[in-house]
Amino acid sequence: MRKRLALPVVLGVVVVFAAVLAAGSQGKTDVASSSHATAASGSVTLSGWSVGKTEEELLNQVVSAFERKFPKIDVKYDSIPNYDQAMLAKFSARKPPDVFYLNSEKAPTWISQGLIAPLNSYVSKSKFPTKPFYPRLLGAFKAKGNTYGFPKDWSPLAMEVNLDLLAKVGAKPPKTWAQLRSVAQKLKSVMTGTARPICLATEWQRMLAFVYQNKGSVLTKGRPTFTSPAVRQAVEYYVGLQRDGLGNSPAKLGAGWCGEAIGKEKAAIAFEGNWAYPYLPETFPGLKWRFYPMPKGKVPGTLAFTVAYSTSPASKNKAAAWELIKYLTGPAGMKLWTSKGLALPARSDVKVNFPAPSRKPLLSEAGYAHVWIWPNGWDKVWTVGNNELGAVFEGKQSIPDMLSKIQSEAQSAR
Amino acid sequence: MATRARTDEKTLGSEKLREALVGYGFILLPLASFFVFSIYPLIYALYISYFDWGALGKIDNVGFGNYREIFDDFLFRKALKNTLLYTAVVVPCQMALGLSMAVIVNQALRARTFFRAAFYFPSLASSAAITAIALYLLSSDGLLNSIIGSVRGETYAHSWFGESSTALQSIMGLNIWTTSGTMMLFYLASLQSISTDVYEAAAIDGAGSWRTFWKITFPLLKPGHFFVAVISVIGSLQIFDQAFFVSGGGGGPNYSTMTIVLYLYNTAINEVRFGYASAVGIVLFVIIFTLTLGQRLLFGRAESA
Amino acid sequence: MTTGDSESRLPPVPPVVAAEQLALEGETAAGTPPPPSLPGRERADTVRRILAYVGLILISILFFVPFLWSISTSLKSLPETAGFNFLPAHPSFRAYDSAITSFNFKRYFANSVFLATVVTMTNLFLSSLGGYAFARLRFPGRELLFMLVLGTLMIPNELRLVPIFQMLTDSPVFHLHLIGTYQGYFLINLVGATTLFLMRQYFLTIPKDYEEAAKLDGAGYFKTYRRVMLPLAGPALAAVTILTFQGTWNDFFWPLIIFLGDESKYTLPLGLFQFRTQYQTLWPQLMAASVIAIVPIALIYVFFQRYFIAGVTAAGVKG
Repeated sequence: MRKRLALPVVLGVVVVFAAVLAAGSQGKTDVASSSHATAASGSVTLSGWSVGKTEEELLNQVVSAFERKFPKIDVKYDSIPNYDQAMLAKFSARKPPDVFYLNSEKAPTWISQGLIAPLNSYVSKSKFPTKPFYPRLLGAFKAKGNTYGFPKDWSPLAMEVNLDLLAKVGAKPPKTWAQLRSVAQKLKSVMTGTARPICLATEWQRMLAFVYQNKGSVLTKGRPTFTSPAVRQAVEYYVGLQRDGLGNSPAKLGAGWCGEAIGKEKAAIAFEGNWAYPYLPETFPGLKWRFYPMPKGKVPGTLAFTVAYSTSPASKNKAAAWELIKYLTGPAGMKLWTSKGLALPARSDVKVNFPAPSRKPLLSEAGYAHVWIWPNGWDKVWTVGNNELGAVFEGKQSIPDMLSKIQSEAQSAR
Repeated sequence: MATRARTDEKTLGSEKLREALVGYGFILLPLASFFVFSIYPLIYALYISYFDWGALGKIDNVGFGNYREIFDDFLFRKALKNTLLYTAVVVPCQMALGLSMAVIVNQALRARTFFRAAFYFPSLASSAAITAIALYLLSSDGLLNSIIGSVRGETYAHSWFGESSTALQSIMGLNIWTTSGTMMLFYLASLQSISTDVYEAAAIDGAGSWRTFWKITFPLLKPGHFFVAVISVIGSLQIFDQAFFVSGGGGGPNYSTMTIVLYLYNTAINEVRFGYASAVGIVLFVIIFTLTLGQRLLFGRAESA
Repeated sequence: MTTGDSESRLPPVPPVVAAEQLALEGETAAGTPPPPSLPGRERADTVRRILAYVGLILISILFFVPFLWSISTSLKSLPETAGFNFLPAHPSFRAYDSAITSFNFKRYFANSVFLATVVTMTNLFLSSLGGYAFARLRFPGRELLFMLVLGTLMIPNELRLVPIFQMLTDSPVFHLHLIGTYQGYFLINLVGATTLFLMRQYFLTIPKDYEEAAKLDGAGYFKTYRRVMLPLAGPALAAVTILTFQGTWNDFFWPLIIFLGDESKYTLPLGLFQFRTQYQTLWPQLMAASVIAIVPIALIYVFFQRYFIAGVTAAGVKG
């Protein structure tokens, strides 16, 4: 084996070094090409994550529509998997894309580190009307009087219901907390094995909707209020469903997440969002299910997640980037983007004719949805919150103790 | 005579110099690689651990602030506790299992090549693949529960990774199973360096194989114990892949799969606190360093390298 | 720091011939025959032997069952996975189809092969060269430098996360942008301390006569390394090959850090992770993807395991 090994080894090493050197010479920062164009022209890079092929094709259509309107601007789109971490690398290298998705969840951290450019001057210069955006969605990307992005679309939580299972017990989709309990009681008889009527994620990213339905809030005037009675009652209701055998966490049901639990018929009711498409119909084609608005507590309430288009201070073609943002989030671009019914428009002046009535309930929640947006440093608060909630589900932690634990974590968040 | 000696010395001297230069030349690239990608990062991490350091670099000088915060942070304490518990369970089990398997396949058995290969087999698969398989086998409607259920005669639906009482333990079991094969190999090497004379002497004394093992083989394996213990401890303290895969990064349920490295990863990537994450890394390094040193004392000056 | 005497302190090592031979025969070194049995013990021995085999076979089954089960699951349909049948009722490759079409597993596979091959080659070359120097050439500071190399094993991978991340995004001095490139991955994995250690230990076991003969022929150091030492180090090189190949093939952490933004550079473990985030508990698909990730390395192991084990055992642990 001696000769067979030695030669390839030496050759291989040579190849590697050559490759490394080649990469090095290409990779040198190219300062000369940084043109500070004043007129919107040149090329811009656009990055986001991909939810599926249909959506990606749709975005390409929107981009070509933009390029037809602005022939001088050339848009290069690519979708990035593992988005948050990948963007971090690009920010660190000071080479972020010119226009990119900004998840409301990441907005505080990224804004506070100076990774996102404020858009105020562009807005006033180009007289971009901001009124049509749903204020709660736009608010997610505002900080200290600056606007850092414009929402491209959004999704609230809504109630996924398996129609066959409900029909089996002769129940109608519940509209209130009381009805949710009674429907679940009826469903108990048809759920066998690990299955339960309701899938209850052990995540505040789902349970918080119930807090809002109870007129509660975990952040009031900038102060954490986890220990308030309204929060406690909502949590008691949510956890009570599990305690009474009416629901369980996806792991206990035998699923990875609640959408999957619905698909595998491990649960008949779950609280998820627009991301059920195209997953559910594609993976479980035979399933008969529909979205309904979240059940109402004292008030109707739900939780929403939104994503904006933003740009970075390091962008080398800010003028063109702004043109692109303006188009993508403007009435024409957003109309096209939401025309297939894949995403919900973030502007009240864009009306969508859904091909199927399936997603209407989601849009109907726009008036009372609360956006998932928190002060910088709350990542850890939610890590603690979800772990504590898991402990509560297991009966290892009491609800008041959980809430005061999260409260103190939130108070010391930085 | 004297002249000849001097010329010899001279050529010897230049020969020595040549050898040294060639030696440095040969180790230049490997050494450079260790300096640039291991030692420099250590120093760099130490440096930025004194700062509030974000994606774009320095934000603020915080001195020991990051370290103080680590010890005030109960999430870190959970991670530390889990990691130490994990190490305390996994290391002895890996060593015991690895040694037993090594002793077995070191016997004059039929088909021992097959057994050796079988025992090593789980060590081959990637952590991602093996964790995926474990997720399936240990899910609430998985194989393990089916077996337990059929034994008990009723459905059993415990979610092994989904409950805090068994999540970490399941990862422990998984890793004991997958890495014992590697430990077996190291022990096998150590076993084979023991001279046969020793056994012959024992046989003449009439010592049984059990006694021979404990009185002779086991103590003679000291260098092997040291090596395996060090490798195993270093690996265990850095447990990440499985915890990340199982919990999706959250360390749940109920903090049971939060490990030091997962915590480090979260603070670096999710919270973009590079300085703080580096401080966590330095603390981990100190723990590993101390434990390795401790093991060295424990196993005596088992001649290393 | 006198050099040279460290070798004499080392315990006696099995002669190199034995190591080569065992590599060929696939049997363990001649180290430990079982204690010779005394007369009158044969019957008890037979019983013990049978018990031992039964135990061994049971353990082996325990080691293989999860893999066999995952293969059978990958051929099942989803409802069937909840059942208890080992053999799928209607075996189909549908799960493999959806794994390959929904995610580019062919590409991940090619990437894994490419990365593992290149990293294995650089490791073979640099660890044998360095190992030879540390084992045989005398130069001041040799022991200290070697200890330093071994010491780097104690630096947690994850401590290097931030520095290497920043170094690769924008390296000091050269301003290279290597994050998301294969080159970045190769650079940080040029040579491992473990493989260097393994090679050095193995070279220490080779009698010096061979080199002296070469020296008399007037061969230089590189020639001695290339023509004399490398050919003698077959089992150790095989061990380095498999350890490195396997390590790179299965590496999750660094590809996660380096390639995350570029799906075209994903390796199998990363692909598997992406896959898991999408398919969650759709077991047939997940198991199909896992099988794709495991089978190649298992095949390599089956073919090379004799060399591999011989190499590790001969060079492995001398302390």
